[in-house]
Amino acid sequence: MAITLNDRLPIPHKDAEVKNITCEFCIVGCGYKAYKWPQGREGALKNNALGVDLGEQQPTYGEWCSERMYNTVTDRDGKKYNLMVIPDQDCVVNIGQNSVRGGMMGVSTFNATSATRDRLKEPMIYRGGMLMETSWEEAATLVAKVYKRVIDNDGADEISHKTFDHGGGGGGFENTWATGKLFHTAIGTNSASIHNRPAYNSEVHSSREMGIGELNSSYYDTSISDVMMVVGCNPYECQTNLFNIHMQPNLEGATIENKKKEYESGESAQKGKIIFVDPRRTASVVIAEKIAGKDNVLHLKLKPGTDITLMNALVTYIFEKGWEAKDFIKNHTENFAEMYKVNKISLKDAAKITDLKESDIVKAAEWIAKPKKSGHRPRNAIYYEKGIIWGIKNYECVASVVNLGMLTHSVGRVGTGICRAGGHQEGYTRPHYNGPSRQNLAVIDTDIIEGKYLVYSIWATNPFGQSIATERLRNAVTKRSQIVKDAINGYHGNDLDELAEIIYRATKIGGLFVVDADIYPNQATQRSHIVFPAATTMEMNLTSMSGERRLRLSEKVMDAPGSSKPDCLIAADIANALKAEYLKAGNKEMAKRFEGFEWKSEEDAFNDGFAGQGASMASQGGGTGKLANYSNLRKAGNNGVQLPIIKRDGDKLIGTRLHYSDGKFGTKSGRATFLPTPQPAMPAQVAKQQKRFKYWVNTGRINEVWQSNYHTGRLEFTAKRWPMAPLEIHPKDAKDIGVISGDIVQLSNDYGSTRAIAVVTDCVREGEVFGGFGFQNSIINDLCTDYVDPDTKIPFYKGTVADIVRVGRSEPLIKDMTFVERA
Amino acid sequence: MVEERQKNSRRGFLKLSALGIGAVAVAPSLMASGHGKSGSVFSEYPNTKIGSLSALKKSGELDFSYPSASSLCKAVFVDGEAKAFSTICTHKGCPTAYNKSAGVFECPCHFTKYDAKKDGQMIIGHATGGLPKVLLEIKGDDIYAVGMDGLIFGRINNNIG
Repeated sequence: MAITLNDRLPIPHKDAEVKNITCEFCIVGCGYKAYKWPQGREGALKNNALGVDLGEQQPTYGEWCSERMYNTVTDRDGKKYNLMVIPDQDCVVNIGQNSVRGGMMGVSTFNATSATRDRLKEPMIYRGGMLMETSWEEAATLVAKVYKRVIDNDGADEISHKTFDHGGGGGGFENTWATGKLFHTAIGTNSASIHNRPAYNSEVHSSREMGIGELNSSYYDTSISDVMMVVGCNPYECQTNLFNIHMQPNLEGATIENKKKEYESGESAQKGKIIFVDPRRTASVVIAEKIAGKDNVLHLKLKPGTDITLMNALVTYIFEKGWEAKDFIKNHTENFAEMYKVNKISLKDAAKITDLKESDIVKAAEWIAKPKKSGHRPRNAIYYEKGIIWGIKNYECVASVVNLGMLTHSVGRVGTGICRAGGHQEGYTRPHYNGPSRQNLAVIDTDIIEGKYLVYSIWATNPFGQSIATERLRNAVTKRSQIVKDAINGYHGNDLDELAEIIYRATKIGGLFVVDADIYPNQATQRSHIVFPAATTMEMNLTSMSGERRLRLSEKVMDAPGSSKPDCLIAADIANALKAEYLKAGNKEMAKRFEGFEWKSEEDAFNDGFAGQGASMASQGGGTGKLANYSNLRKAGNNGVQLPIIKRDGDKLIGTRLHYSDGKFGTKSGRATFLPTPQPAMPAQVAKQQKRFKYWVNTGRINEVWQSNYHTGRLEFTAKRWPMAPLEIHPKDAKDIGVISGDIVQLSNDYGSTRAIAVVTDCVREGEVFGGFGFQNSIINDLCTDYVDPDTKIPFYKGTVADIVRVGRSEPLIKDMTFVERA
Repeated sequence: MVEERQKNSRRGFLKLSALGIGAVAVAPSLMASGHGKSGSVFSEYPNTKIGSLSALKKSGELDFSYPSASSLCKAVFVDGEAKAFSTICTHKGCPTAYNKSAGVFECPCHFTKYDAKKDGQMIIGHATGGLPKVLLEIKGDDIYAVGMDGLIFGRINNNIG
């Protein structure tokens, strides 16, 4: 029996257990409070855990739990509880506000009678033609026996893996440390790739090599900037409370008092302005105009792939006007002349290439560099994200923005920053990766298509919807996995050594042994031979840092479904099983490599990694993790501490609001380095598609869909809102194709084909469409070419070309889908 | 939610009228005064006349409170149907404004938008669902609010507050 009441909730009992939760989704990392109390108990209207009179209508901004912030959960001892997860009014990040994603953390938790019922619960093994439940011991032992054969006979690099490196749901310092230690150090493979891309690389190599870490500012500084510049980024939808809580008040003029307090004496302080660089009129653009008026919002709706030219033109114009930060450039940077020689471009040429008006480029330059009335330099908070990270050439795209930020001293100063806006939270803590330089990294998913590697370990990601040329990848892994499946199907015994040998031999004739760790079944599970069920946020203690480097401990609230475990303990199981195999074989030297995984809890993994390694690890959190522990992080609550930690004052952690305020940068010389960033030509693969097909295809995230849509594709509200990926099509193009909003369309090119629901809107440029990213039933990445930036191996996900035809229409499919203009 | 064509059909009209009369007849004994005292497990909503259908058709919108005075609601006439919603945004409780020409409820605080033609579906924004719907019944030219589908912002129970 499942009763769903959507017009009333139980009152949280005053004795409810209250825990701090950091939102598991976007990089902003809003604070939430979880209230858990036994079923059958209820608080009173005037005496309850929320501390408000629930007999009264609560006011605007008052405490409230929506239906989707609530769930009933069952712990492993069979006890049932009520659970409310509501935004924390005391958290400085979100002051009690939620995004659509974070607001659904309650309903996203596991409940055996709800949309989350199909969570993976037990380890599974492919036997008898299907995946079936097994013990942890058998699953880990079989993996160890196959891995040992591969390491001993073929070398560890034959074990390829694609593993999350992030914070938030599934990630965190605990789990990235554990998987990094397993693959980098213990197994010792360099055939690595990260959850959203085909190689093991940074998305911001160039910024780091210029001496500027990509998360160098704080949201507070954004709120007191003169100008916000947002490049290839849609914060209203993708970094919601950065926009609502920090950018919006700046645009409204609500932060002027703070500006006066923080700025130099006599410095002009007015309400903020914002510049968007995006080929699409995003929701952020339209809403910023509503907030600040068109005079304070500039949308540079440029031709895709020309951001670098725009940045170079801004640098040129500002320098020609003499508005550059002369003292800063002289005393704290290097390589300006070499950069300028290459990047210099006339307004006229830039306007032609970018499809922008010269006057708009001039206007942007004036906003970000022309001295203010008081004569002071404008303070710019510059954000960039996937629009250029997944751009025409990753290395130069990012560097060109950082050049502009350096030229205008938009780093290390109050009210400034040159930051990536970010997708998910961060949680990178790993032993050093021993692979080759960025130019020589293996592109794992392309290699897999070409038949390389014997093992493909997929950890908390779905590469089959989120890599390059994904249709080809799915087809290749289906075939190669089937070779192993067929071999397993021919074996009816249950000797794990025999089974491991059979699997190993199958991999030597073109097969691929696929091991998956995840929380839901997906396209990776379908192709796997061993599946490990993982715990996620609220089912384990998890530390992550946000886009302003804010580290929080998101506390465990409930048990994970079935016997699923935190990823760090799954990694430990595999390592310990390998150690046992090597000891059994009498190989003590190899067994030693797998030591150090004797963890009983995620806290052990945290203490071994982030809090245990200091500067000897590679981490986004700096080398002072030793000052942090679960106890002082618990006390720091949802406000946490901004990394790196400077010191511990009693049990209070003191952090870092702004990086580089001392003018010393992360290069050998300590000077930030300008880089030449010439406009690249269109990559050959993409240029070929341009010749053969008609419509430029841009892609991106939409508000209600998180990552691979794993929760949001299941939850009733979001699944009805977006039953398939939307494809935004300009009205003129829609007329040519013969489609109206709601029609199903097919896109195809040399790499693959996919389907989507047409949404006719002039927010996209004519000849260009925009497809929603992350859907598992309409995979826009099937159209992506296999091009990667040769200097970083980062793909150009935002640039491909396809033909589009109308397939038909299904009214029931779109029954609950609104087509009103979103922005 | 009553469709125009349904109201215009004689059978539909009689059926709805019967429901309406029945509801009025039983209302006094089932009307929840707060909760717990009626002997009801699922404390029932009040049955409240909110206005006339012909006036709603003419003006396109009609303000009322339901199920109690502090809960602001609006009936609208879109696509030949009378529909009604709580007008309080379920993101942070700001009162939305109704854009009649578009049939859209718009929140001025954080710009969440809801489509009246799609049962209050969220177009964009930060709520975790559509606008709560007020269930309507029509008796002759009278529109009655008879229940709700969805939790009103700021309440733990729609009938309390």
